[in-house]
Amino acid sequence: MTMKRREFLGRMAAGSAVLSMPAFLSGCGIQQATAIADQTPENPFMDWFGVDEATTARVMAELTARGADAADLYFQHSRTNFLTLEDGIVSSASSTIEQGVGLRVVVGDQTGYAFTEDLTLPSMLAAARTAAAIASGSQVVPPQSFNAAGAGDLYKTTVPWSDVGIDQKLPLMKFVEAKAKSLDESVDKVAVYWADQDQRVMIATLDGKLVTDHRPMTRVTVTVTAKKGDEVQSGFSNIAAREEFGWYSEERLTTMVREAVERTMVLFDARRPPAGEMPVILASGASGILLHEAIGHGMEADFNRKGVSIYSDMIGKKVAEPFVTVVDQATIPRERGALNYDDEGNKAGRTVLVRDGILESYLHDGISANQYALKPTGSGRRQSYKYAPMPRMSCTFMEDGPHTKDEIIAAVDRGIICETYTNGQVQIGAGDYTFYVKNGWLVENGKVTAPIKDVNIIGNGPESLKRITMVANDARLDTGGWTCGKNGQSVPVSQGIPTVLVSKMTVGGENVS
Amino acid sequence: MSVELKERAAEAVELAKKAGAEDAWSNASQSRDVQFEYRDGSLEKVKDTTSQNLGIRIYAGGRYSSHSTTDLSPDRLQGFITEAVAITGALEPDEYRRITPESLFTDRPTDDLDLVDANVQALDREQRIAWCRALDEVAHQNERVISATSGVYDGTQRSASASSNGFLDEQQSTYCWFGAEVTLRDRGDKRAEDAFYAGGAHVVDLPGPEEVGTIALERTLSRLDSEKGPTVKAPMVVDARAAASLLGRLLGSANARSVQQGRSFWAPLLGEEAFSKKLTIIDDPLIKRGLSSRHYDNEGISSRALPIVENGIVRNIYVDTYYGRKGDMSPTTGSPSNRVVKLGGYSREQLLGEVGTGVYVTSWLGGNADSTTGDFSLGLRGHMIEDGKIGRPVGEMNVTGNLRDLFTRLELVGNDPYPYSSTLAPSLVFADVDFSGT
Repeated sequence: MTMKRREFLGRMAAGSAVLSMPAFLSGCGIQQATAIADQTPENPFMDWFGVDEATTARVMAELTARGADAADLYFQHSRTNFLTLEDGIVSSASSTIEQGVGLRVVVGDQTGYAFTEDLTLPSMLAAARTAAAIASGSQVVPPQSFNAAGAGDLYKTTVPWSDVGIDQKLPLMKFVEAKAKSLDESVDKVAVYWADQDQRVMIATLDGKLVTDHRPMTRVTVTVTAKKGDEVQSGFSNIAAREEFGWYSEERLTTMVREAVERTMVLFDARRPPAGEMPVILASGASGILLHEAIGHGMEADFNRKGVSIYSDMIGKKVAEPFVTVVDQATIPRERGALNYDDEGNKAGRTVLVRDGILESYLHDGISANQYALKPTGSGRRQSYKYAPMPRMSCTFMEDGPHTKDEIIAAVDRGIICETYTNGQVQIGAGDYTFYVKNGWLVENGKVTAPIKDVNIIGNGPESLKRITMVANDARLDTGGWTCGKNGQSVPVSQGIPTVLVSKMTVGGENVS
Repeated sequence: MSVELKERAAEAVELAKKAGAEDAWSNASQSRDVQFEYRDGSLEKVKDTTSQNLGIRIYAGGRYSSHSTTDLSPDRLQGFITEAVAITGALEPDEYRRITPESLFTDRPTDDLDLVDANVQALDREQRIAWCRALDEVAHQNERVISATSGVYDGTQRSASASSNGFLDEQQSTYCWFGAEVTLRDRGDKRAEDAFYAGGAHVVDLPGPEEVGTIALERTLSRLDSEKGPTVKAPMVVDARAAASLLGRLLGSANARSVQQGRSFWAPLLGEEAFSKKLTIIDDPLIKRGLSSRHYDNEGISSRALPIVENGIVRNIYVDTYYGRKGDMSPTTGSPSNRVVKLGGYSREQLLGEVGTGVYVTSWLGGNADSTTGDFSLGLRGHMIEDGKIGRPVGEMNVTGNLRDLFTRLELVGNDPYPYSSTLAPSLVFADVDFSGT
């Protein structure tokens, strides 16, 4: 098997070219992929990592030699490619390969963890012994063979990123730049940042499951700097998804560029709102950041099993008006937060956090599900093989409500609408959370008036949920490339929401004296 | 081990040259990282890892690209580097993309920075668990504690760099951090939470775990019964730990890349008296046992102390070789090291006494700044200052303004630098700050 891997990987080195080497163009990569499929009809992932069932079982036995309630091997290979266009040229590319296996032993709520980037048997056995040191019991019966779970179909691709050359990406980046410059004569500089990734994971568990997943990801960001006299303003937009090259239509890219230019140009006229408490309208889409911070993190079950979340004692209680339903769903095809399986090998799914105003379920990984005697919700995620999984969000959104956007705006005497965001944060225990509003508008006497910019908004999760007094019927998911950080681990997520009115939040701004 | 890393870096440069690169700069790194976490009386997590990486920057035909991999098996590495050189050929030529010139790295300092502590490398399971237990015990010394997680994090990082124009060197450092995160029952469903960690290159420089755990608990106790403060324009005292983070935001776009790309409010400030005369910031990579001390930066540029702001006047910004050439600025270093803020003469208590009434900020919550204009808005936690003393705890407030403008209103500087950060900043006092609360 090892010899086979060397052959296989050796050929992939050439086939995975992100480039326009003339000799490699015109579909050569696709032929490579076909050849691989022929060679290893059963499980190409085993070959990819150069292991076989016997090796995997041997490492699992070592990992569980001192006992375990659960254990897994998380093999991962990721290749990420970046390109930068600045000052009219694409003169910087970078790529990162991350390959390794993470080994985890769980005893009750205790975790032993190790990883190695050297996928030879001696190195994996040494890492297994290190991880096993957490336990002090006796050997459990490890599986001798593994049952392969079916491949998921949420983000199947016809052309993997490894077969897309720089020569194909470069014209799209130039298109984005030219489009941005054409939209307003004040646009001074445009930068375009490209990222694509092929990630392959193979998870073998103590209960004999073998899960494999090929996870594509891509994101394009455009930043615009505009000048009017001495004044300089900059703004940006991005789009991201578990998609392939063909997703980048001219129309999709144009929409993104238009947003970036509009967001930048409006800053010349934008001001800070008055400081203090006021009604806040959250525009549909990216305002899903409210859900991520105000409730999502607090519903991750690791915080609740430890009793440190403000939501620890609230399951089954009324937390919002009956027209509020909040869902975390990993099974929306091609979304940035989509997952076929979580990083513990459980089928990812749909979890209703709040149903008709009642707090319904936390997001569980294996450890918390075991403690609560529930099924995992498929929410165990990790940044890479270097980390143990923990409960995380995937794609978090609010369902449509009974109102309309126009009704909501008309209902506000003096407040703001928030449209675009850069980041947010939450304190799990106190429930205080924030998000930073890059663009928005003042609302006066039921009408949208002047543009605003750069204000932080702060609220308290459970209090804000209670203060959601109107929910419109225009729910949509944001297409931006959001990344969530928790305990030093970053994972891609999505979010969405319809237009919503929160009757009172604290808005950063200027004190009118 | 280090000899191996140097060889690995040098071999990668050779492979790149064989594959057709005119120049190449390689970095081979390795780290051992151990993490022990202990919660409410028992061990919760042990993580023990050794990690490796190889990065290479390729210059070929007036073009540039950079690559890194954790897959260091010899048969794979050759293919990886050959491919890296081929990829470079697909990019557009750029006259400013050139390898770091020798003149920038030949006179590297050789000072003993004392960054390696054999005591860290000799830490064993028993010692780590003993620290965890000590932290855990003091962190629980209050009946309102719901949960406390204590942790010990230590390791050794090694890296070696080699270049086609003669650079070959290595750096090594150890680190050891420990601390605790505490959650207390507050009113209703609310919990008060805070944390405190101490760390450094040497074990002997750390306070005892009892002291660290006690500070974590005290910080959390001070958050109990926190309420939203007023919407007000008032003086702001920022404690030393929060000041380090605020200075990080101020300096976030003080670099050639942001300036050249038109996304920095620092662009017109070089040589100008842009801030309060009370503000002096030196980037000093040569501090003994400093958290970010080094002989050379990631481009190989020789370390030297670099004044960023002196008495309010902007002296330098961070300039790497590429954006320096492109923006016609002399390279300084592209990456910050230890940032030392010149101390004032006041203790924290004296600062609070001078201010009399205002808001004392102990930590930030979210928020951001526009690097182009300097406009910022940040969430905060802290206390009201009443009669020159720390008063009731407040939170769920924002502070909003413009970074440059804020630092023109820096009025007083403390003498109490926070030691557990690369930014060594004391408490700072600002006048006329916009707060939003109730």
